[in-house]
Amino acid sequence: MPTVIVAHFKTNIYEYLEALQKSTLDKLYEEPATCLAIFRLLPSLARQLVMSLLFSTQIMSKADLRQWIKNDKESLSKFEEALDKLQKLHIMIEQENKTIALNSSFKQKFQECLTGGGTHQSFGKLYNKPHRHSQSNSHKLPDIKTLDEHAKTKWEEILHFMVGTDRMNSPGASVLKVVTKANLMREKEGKGLEITNKGFQFLLQDVNTQVWAFLIQYLDLASEMLHMNVVEVLNFFFMLGSLELGQDYSVEGLTDTQRQLLDDLTNYGLIYRPKKSSKRYYPTRLATTLTSGNSAIVSNSSSNNPTDDDDSATEQGFIIVETNYKLYAYTSSQLQISVLNLFCNLQFQFSNMVTAELTRESVRKALKHGITASQIISYLTSHAHPQMKKRPALLPSTVVDQIQLWEMELNRLVITNSYLYKEFRTFADYEVVLKHANTLGVVVWSSDSKKMIGITEAGHERVKAFIKRKIVQRRSNGGDTTSSAGGTPAR
Amino acid sequence: MSVLKDTATVNEEDANLLVLIIDTNPIVWRKSNFSLKEALRHILVFINAHLALKHDNDVAIIASHVGVSKFLYPIPMTHENSDKTIFPNMYQKFRVIDEKVIANMSALFEDVDTPNNYPDKASSMMAGALSMALCYINRITKADEIGHVKSRILIISVSPDSPYQYISIMNCIFSAQKLCIPIDVCKVYGSDTPVFLQQASHITGGKYLKLEMPQGLLQFLMIAFLPDRYNKKYLCLPGEERVDFGAACFCHKKIIDVGYVCSVCLSIFCRPLDECSTCRTRLTLTSVRQNGRVI
Repeated sequence: MPTVIVAHFKTNIYEYLEALQKSTLDKLYEEPATCLAIFRLLPSLARQLVMSLLFSTQIMSKADLRQWIKNDKESLSKFEEALDKLQKLHIMIEQENKTIALNSSFKQKFQECLTGGGTHQSFGKLYNKPHRHSQSNSHKLPDIKTLDEHAKTKWEEILHFMVGTDRMNSPGASVLKVVTKANLMREKEGKGLEITNKGFQFLLQDVNTQVWAFLIQYLDLASEMLHMNVVEVLNFFFMLGSLELGQDYSVEGLTDTQRQLLDDLTNYGLIYRPKKSSKRYYPTRLATTLTSGNSAIVSNSSSNNPTDDDDSATEQGFIIVETNYKLYAYTSSQLQISVLNLFCNLQFQFSNMVTAELTRESVRKALKHGITASQIISYLTSHAHPQMKKRPALLPSTVVDQIQLWEMELNRLVITNSYLYKEFRTFADYEVVLKHANTLGVVVWSSDSKKMIGITEAGHERVKAFIKRKIVQRRSNGGDTTSSAGGTPAR
Repeated sequence: MSVLKDTATVNEEDANLLVLIIDTNPIVWRKSNFSLKEALRHILVFINAHLALKHDNDVAIIASHVGVSKFLYPIPMTHENSDKTIFPNMYQKFRVIDEKVIANMSALFEDVDTPNNYPDKASSMMAGALSMALCYINRITKADEIGHVKSRILIISVSPDSPYQYISIMNCIFSAQKLCIPIDVCKVYGSDTPVFLQQASHITGGKYLKLEMPQGLLQFLMIAFLPDRYNKKYLCLPGEERVDFGAACFCHKKIIDVGYVCSVCLSIFCRPLDECSTCRTRLTLTSVRQNGRVI
């Protein structure tokens, strides 16, 4: 189900925004396109609350708002969650007199966004001049296929580089910086870069999440090293999300920072430019689906957009999983095959498909790389073949359960450093110590028959002191029973 | 397949299809102190708000006019007309829809012959518009294989009920009920209560709301009619609880509170008949005549 993936991609950008200063956010809200994009990241109920307040002139308090919500536990918790997010992003502000208001600049710009006023040009300036050679047919507008092709090659180039299938085409220096900064790859001792566990996890995410993860790292990099203005960069990203696929936009009106961005984003495949010096740029599908989340997967089936019909193999599902753990993947992409190879045993490769098998060994191998079971499942879910989507449960439940069991198998043993207490003289001695240790809550393990107790590192000093106290007590009472505390760290 | 298409349960990630039926009866709108043009401005902002809520939200707008009902958006287009002037100050999808609605609306009003030749000028073709809405929803739902699109209908109503449309409207309502499509009704103007539409919202689990102040249309739309089916689970929305279950008789199309019902096909009549006009069953009314009127 796309739910999982969307949550992923939203949390990514969301966490970033939440960490921003109020003043930065206020500046962001000056662009209607950004307002719209951030608005769409909010939880459903929060969006509704914003809309209800947007054109309202009444002064509301939190209690007034709560009147709108049904008085049951689930509704109220949703409401609290929505309010919390709105306040964290400073869209809704609780004033001192307990009234609640929308951020004034957000309110104004978002109204503008819905009514279509203003002169902000935040939804992209079209390249208006007639194409110089349009008559002579030598300079055609690139069609959507070209754009998709460009996006795909550029983005896969990065992924290929990470997987290491294609060492020939090393992507640009800025890509390398981002990749190492994000800890997706690390410097190997000898030479070159090596993929990390985080990198493996990255490969299993859907394209949208990958792009955002990448862009956020880029943002950090941009503000730290290239001294770019975060607000301008973010505005540009959000504007890209609102552009039309297949349109040409003018670089005029962009700030210097944003022009610089254009070059980098061209490298990532988010933007296509006929020539480097061109005054035009075209957003690709990677860019236009930035703020829509699940559209890359779902909108193919909704018929409203005829341009979505062409089959870009990365967007459509291609994997069929059977209940007997056999997996058929209709793909010839080397990249996807190597991703599958992370957690499957590949068996045969045909010209348009590969067959593979999920085995205990293959999944364990992936788990050892730091990939989690839920990542494997969500990868299989999001790339499931359209035929699979017609079933009630998308993946066979046997397979899903088994993958999770294999993961739990690895977590069977929990290692705790501890001290072993043994050779108690009498059972009574053993019992007293055990009772005391139990009240302290520091017992890891104990055995009545062997008269042994395992005590955590943290509790060792206190138990030792207790035993010493007991021994001193006994001695002063004339008794000679001692219990020897063997402080041997076990396992 | 159809079993799996779960249209009744909703979750947060669903796309919402809003089919908006605007009652454009010019004669009634002129009587109101709130012009259709003004209302349309509010409605367009509302449409934009609906589209803004989610990237894959969609909308269809149908005009229920006098004597005819027409799609204002979407209209199957030949591709040539798409002028590609993009207006940088507005989100592209908003602008395309707004412009098409305005253009098609003015085209609708240029045609004066159809309304003039239609006998019942006081009401609008609500039944036709509802059927078009349901057909459109049905098509979209069929195309959507994974049951991701959740639909609802919103009627902006001004003119009174047309008893002539009783049967067809009721049929639409029951199909909507079967398909789990809520019908919301917003009565903007008019002192009467649209009995059929009120029933429509009651039966399908939608909201019926009559505006006291049409000038506040946008705010009402935003609060009461914008929430999608997912959010409605959590919100207390304004609405009228009392429903008038009045029906129109099949014989004279009069709206009646008490009448006669055919025991076989449940057709409603205002007078006792010897033979049911719908199913041709011979009815004996002796017992009725003795006991007086029966509902």
